[in-house]
Amino acid sequence: MSLLSYLRIWLACARYSVVRTMMFRFDFIMWSLVEFLWMAVNLLLVAVIYAHTDEIAGWSQYEMLLLVGTSMLVQRFIMGFFWSNLFEFARNVRSGHFDFFLAQPGNPLFMVSTRKLDLDGLANTVVAVGVIIYAVRQLGLEPSLLQIGSYVLMIGCGILIHYGALLAIVSLTFWLGASQGIEGSYFTLMEFSRLPREAFRGAANLIFVWLLPAVVVSNVPARTLLHGFEPQHLLWLAVTTAVWFALGVTVFNRGLRRYASASS
Amino acid sequence: MFPALTKYRHAFLIGLQSNIVYRWTFGVRAVFSVFHLAFVFILWGAAYKGQATIGGFDLNQTLTYFVVLLLMQFFIGAFNEDYQISEEIRNGLINQFLLKPINYYLYRFSIFVAARLVSGLLALVPLLFAFPLLRDYLVFPDETWRILLGVPAALMAAIIQFTIAYCFGLLTFWFLEIQSFVILSLAIETVLGGQMFPLDLMPAWFFRISQFLPYYYQMYFPSAIFTGRLDQAQAIEGLALQLFWVIALLGIANFLWRRGLRRHTAVGG
Repeated sequence: MSLLSYLRIWLACARYSVVRTMMFRFDFIMWSLVEFLWMAVNLLLVAVIYAHTDEIAGWSQYEMLLLVGTSMLVQRFIMGFFWSNLFEFARNVRSGHFDFFLAQPGNPLFMVSTRKLDLDGLANTVVAVGVIIYAVRQLGLEPSLLQIGSYVLMIGCGILIHYGALLAIVSLTFWLGASQGIEGSYFTLMEFSRLPREAFRGAANLIFVWLLPAVVVSNVPARTLLHGFEPQHLLWLAVTTAVWFALGVTVFNRGLRRYASASS
Repeated sequence: MFPALTKYRHAFLIGLQSNIVYRWTFGVRAVFSVFHLAFVFILWGAAYKGQATIGGFDLNQTLTYFVVLLLMQFFIGAFNEDYQISEEIRNGLINQFLLKPINYYLYRFSIFVAARLVSGLLALVPLLFAFPLLRDYLVFPDETWRILLGVPAALMAAIIQFTIAYCFGLLTFWFLEIQSFVILSLAIETVLGGQMFPLDLMPAWFFRISQFLPYYYQMYFPSAIFTGRLDQAQAIEGLALQLFWVIALLGIANFLWRRGLRRHTAVGG
């Protein structure tokens, strides 16, 4: 299939998701509110700590807000585009409904990942952008076009990294079978992206900054707005993106070979 | 009296068995919680740099608070009881309890106790592994009254946790889907129950208001007694208010149950 037909499929799925959301308006409002409240809870944590201290690992309150906002933005995109698709993918592998995706004339990974959009997650990206703009204003920053451009690019890298990590995690279902709530590890991991890199020491530094992609995803874009464009950081992010996206796809493909359907 | 207890003892034993089936799920969750503890340690460790105390407590006291909170979550916290009850109402499994001389609340509560015994013991496993790293941070006050008042506070907290979940489950009589209500309330509970940060770090007026809400007694209250964040007068006053909330919530649960049954149409079963 050509790229154009994939785009058409994606647009059809998107249209279907919008129609569905319109049908269940109350649900949409409730879930948007739920996500919004959770974001507020995390912002409150920042506010409470800074009521008692001036800096965390050298980051001032609004710098920290920028970091948390960045981490939220990436996560909102993941929630909007991929989370429920990949969550259902794991469930379908267990139940055997995954057969249905294999029977479709398209790349299975594409079919699995793009089935629907969660508009409530996407609605809250506006809130995350609001938080970021507010922090930038409070800090009195005037980012150049290069900074803004690379920030947007870096958010894109962040989405790919998160997607790769999440895909690698849920693809483990091919081996594990029964549900043990492994999807939860994604949220546990990404919690660390709300922390400044300088706070990590020793083993934590090795694990969360270098081995796992939790810290780089939020810290590098936030630093770009704060301290200007740094090519070595962009390189670090680019390499991480390549590694984690490839890892996700590899684990998925390896698992696919093991898939032997289920009783249904 | 005693024959009545036997019924619930059986419910408890069956609950024990069925929850041991989910040992891996609980175990995995406990491991994630220990990772969350790492997040907490890194964040607060960095916040404490350059100052000995925050809100009158040093770093170790604050970290101990979060460790106790984690244990509380697995020993007294409600997990998915609301969802289980909701499912029983939806597929009509609840109908059988309407025909038998068994109190649904007590039946569910017996299973809850069994589930917390399993999840609590499982949470100890990753904590024991992390213990060599945690040991140097743990500081507990040595007054005995803290145990004497903390244990009843923890037990009543368990009743409050369960009863709130039970009430949410009963909402299924009116609404088809309760998931969003539950998560919405979880967000509020996370803040007002002191799971995000110790409530005493909030402005005094906020802290005072929170003491009149049930969330305060779900988590923060027993943990704060054990870890020395409340004095004796506050603890005694709190116990009285906590008892009020236990009674009030039991009343609400009973009310919802009676009203809900009137709407119930006993589909399926």
